[in-house]
Amino acid sequence: MKRLTLTAAVALALPAFAQAAEITIVREVDSNNYDPHRAVARAAAEVLFMLGDTLVSLNPDMQTIEPGVAKSWEVSEDGLTYTFNLREDVYFCDGKQMTAEDVAYSITRWVDPETKSPVAWRAGDVESVTAVDEFTVEYKLSEPFSELLYQLTQSFGTIIDSTNVEALGEDFGVSGLNGSGPFCWVEWTPRDKMIIERHEAYSWGAPFHTNTGPASMERITWQVVPEENTRTVAVLTGQSEITQYVPDIALAQLRDASTVEVVRSDLAFWTYFMGFKIDKATVSDPAVRQAINLAVDQTAMAEDLFFGEVEPAYSYVSQGALDWNTSLNDTLLTYNPEEANRILDEAGWERGSDGVRSKDGVRLEPIAYVFAGSTWGKISESVQAYLREIGVAMDIQAFDATVAWGRLATQEFDMFGMSFPYVSSGDALNLYFRSENMPTPNRMNWNDAETDELLQAGKTALDDATRAESYGAVLEIVHDAAVWLPLYHEPMVVAQSADLETVVPHNIYGAGLYKGLDLKFKE
Amino acid sequence: MMTLVLNRLIISVPVLFGVLLLGFGLLILVPGDPAIVMAGPMATPEVVAAIRTEMGLDEPVLTQFFRYLGRMAEGDLGRSLISNKTVISELGAAIGPTTELMVACLIWSIPLGIALGTLAAVWRGSITDRAIMAFSVAGVSLPIFFICLMLIHFVGVQWRLLPFIGRGGPLWTMDGLRHIALPALSLGLIFIGPVARMTRSSVLEVLRLDHVRTARAKGLSEPRVILRHGLRNALIPVVTLVGLQAGYLLGGAVVTESIFSYPGIGRLAVGAILSSDFPLAQGAILILALAFILINLIVDVLYALLDPRVQTP
Repeated sequence: MKRLTLTAAVALALPAFAQAAEITIVREVDSNNYDPHRAVARAAAEVLFMLGDTLVSLNPDMQTIEPGVAKSWEVSEDGLTYTFNLREDVYFCDGKQMTAEDVAYSITRWVDPETKSPVAWRAGDVESVTAVDEFTVEYKLSEPFSELLYQLTQSFGTIIDSTNVEALGEDFGVSGLNGSGPFCWVEWTPRDKMIIERHEAYSWGAPFHTNTGPASMERITWQVVPEENTRTVAVLTGQSEITQYVPDIALAQLRDASTVEVVRSDLAFWTYFMGFKIDKATVSDPAVRQAINLAVDQTAMAEDLFFGEVEPAYSYVSQGALDWNTSLNDTLLTYNPEEANRILDEAGWERGSDGVRSKDGVRLEPIAYVFAGSTWGKISESVQAYLREIGVAMDIQAFDATVAWGRLATQEFDMFGMSFPYVSSGDALNLYFRSENMPTPNRMNWNDAETDELLQAGKTALDDATRAESYGAVLEIVHDAAVWLPLYHEPMVVAQSADLETVVPHNIYGAGLYKGLDLKFKE
Repeated sequence: MMTLVLNRLIISVPVLFGVLLLGFGLLILVPGDPAIVMAGPMATPEVVAAIRTEMGLDEPVLTQFFRYLGRMAEGDLGRSLISNKTVISELGAAIGPTTELMVACLIWSIPLGIALGTLAAVWRGSITDRAIMAFSVAGVSLPIFFICLMLIHFVGVQWRLLPFIGRGGPLWTMDGLRHIALPALSLGLIFIGPVARMTRSSVLEVLRLDHVRTARAKGLSEPRVILRHGLRNALIPVVTLVGLQAGYLLGGAVVTESIFSYPGIGRLAVGAILSSDFPLAQGAILILALAFILINLIVDVLYALLDPRVQTP
């Protein structure tokens, strides 16, 4: 009996033999579904990139468009017609060949009002998408869209199989998705795990991948582990081979561990900022907004709150993003509390007995809506402390994410906290600064005819120079008006097992492992 | 016996109604708009309004409640706002793992708790008794999350003996056993304490009774006296306690499942509540309440079987 007990105990304690080419990726949250047209979460993009393909791909440099399932494309002189020539060797996971009909179906479904896609605008003003022949697609727009190719690289542009969509109905992207990516759907348990397996026939990876297919990994399990410490020790102990969801405080420890390698990319376009609702009395004066920008020390916040693991932000988009206006580099507002106080004094905002400034009966007590949780908690409290130094008493009101989106669509607040991913300057600017996007996502109520004209000019530009010039001008206008208080750009940090070849993080929509083609155990 | 079961079942009906009311109250009282959850953060106000009408959220509360009761009566728990899967299928997938966790926890902790309690009673006042009682107090007092984190730290990280993430598979597979070991150990550790304490006091009480003295006078061996005449009679209150504690275990499982990322009902309920997935949260609460009612029913029946006096009206 003793021997039996001992044997059982040893057998239980022995780690399971690692099965070749299988990895577990731990992450914080799951997506609500995996329908590329309905799911907007980063968690969805992470899996969709692996399950499916897009017409064109974005190089990890975040600037260069490269082939996807389209081997080449032509754009008409008026910028209204894109003709995509498809590869003839692309197959879905069930073995069906991908044709122009599938592409036409996918884009048409994306923009169809019936689909209720919250990101339909990213496909441009589509007039029609038709299959000219079996492997040629004509994508017609009613007005030019200079960033169309960039938008088509995102997971929303995943080419899907019409038969599969119709067969699954409401359950498409819930119980399955027949994609043409390097991995195929096996099983999804919401909030727990998504299991995907290698697509054996895959050989059409974009040219920038070291491995264009099939993938080296046979099976990937995306495991949801909400607790951040558990995720950290999971990587430390080898229970997970890779993750991009480790807390900043743990990164130093992970770097010291011989079993773990930490890879960082600063080309990640994910920016945290606080915006001002500029028609509110407390923040309508540009001097106040400018002073607030000068009062906050983003560098110290990056060090103290995030252990130096994030990049302090003074620009509204990363300075590495496409169409960033480099002439603004020297004019960005950086920490200078004396100057902030001087500006407020000069503008007539006088300190009261409690130290809070006021003018014409308006006290500088802006209400700031932020998301509840540790990240926005520490950010907003830090900003609050800085603002107190210049006589601004910011009132923080934190809401759970399920409530916050609704509250942020109102006119109740003066400032708000937000973070967002983008592929380019134009992507970010069109989303946040178009007057037609008031009250959300243009929560600042930024209503400026010149901005709208320039954004339209950038959007419909037929050449790169015009587009860059238009978006550059918008960047200058909104920076001058101090419409936001930029806080930090979040880099892409991946903690991976030292047994894996070093990954090159991709930064598209924050999905660091992109297609998973370069995930490979060392020889 | 049938009358007893029937009585208990009838009493369960108002309890169940209360749970349904509470579950519905969640939808009305807590902040968060199901329509926004369903529409997604980037949806326009028009889309949200359309969804609100589609879901009947703009109708009077009473109308919504009766419609909800009607759906429950038909066994239609709705669809998850997040995954669009039917609530029944989501719950169905989570019930198995939670049941396994309960079994894996109870199968070792009940016998061990009873054994420790009996030993403490037999050696009352000894160092063994004090050590066992100290262990029991620790089990009762330590919060479950602390036990979970300590087990992860030592068994999972320092000694690297067992995995601490997810479910490896069914309980009867080696991977399933390895993955369930730490959650079951955590839950069991909080379960042993009360069981051992109750067993100890109950055995002490029984050992003072006349029939035990008679058994000793007949010359029966001490182990036989304790096991056959003492423990057997002492188990009646222990069964009640085990039943009640098993109910509380469901609460402990919520924390344990969340920390170990174990895909059971507890974690499902937490995830559903945190993401304002109201139909799923209501379903999970309903299942947890049903489990509690069922456990109490089983305890009542067992109690009646062990002590025939209970059946007497």
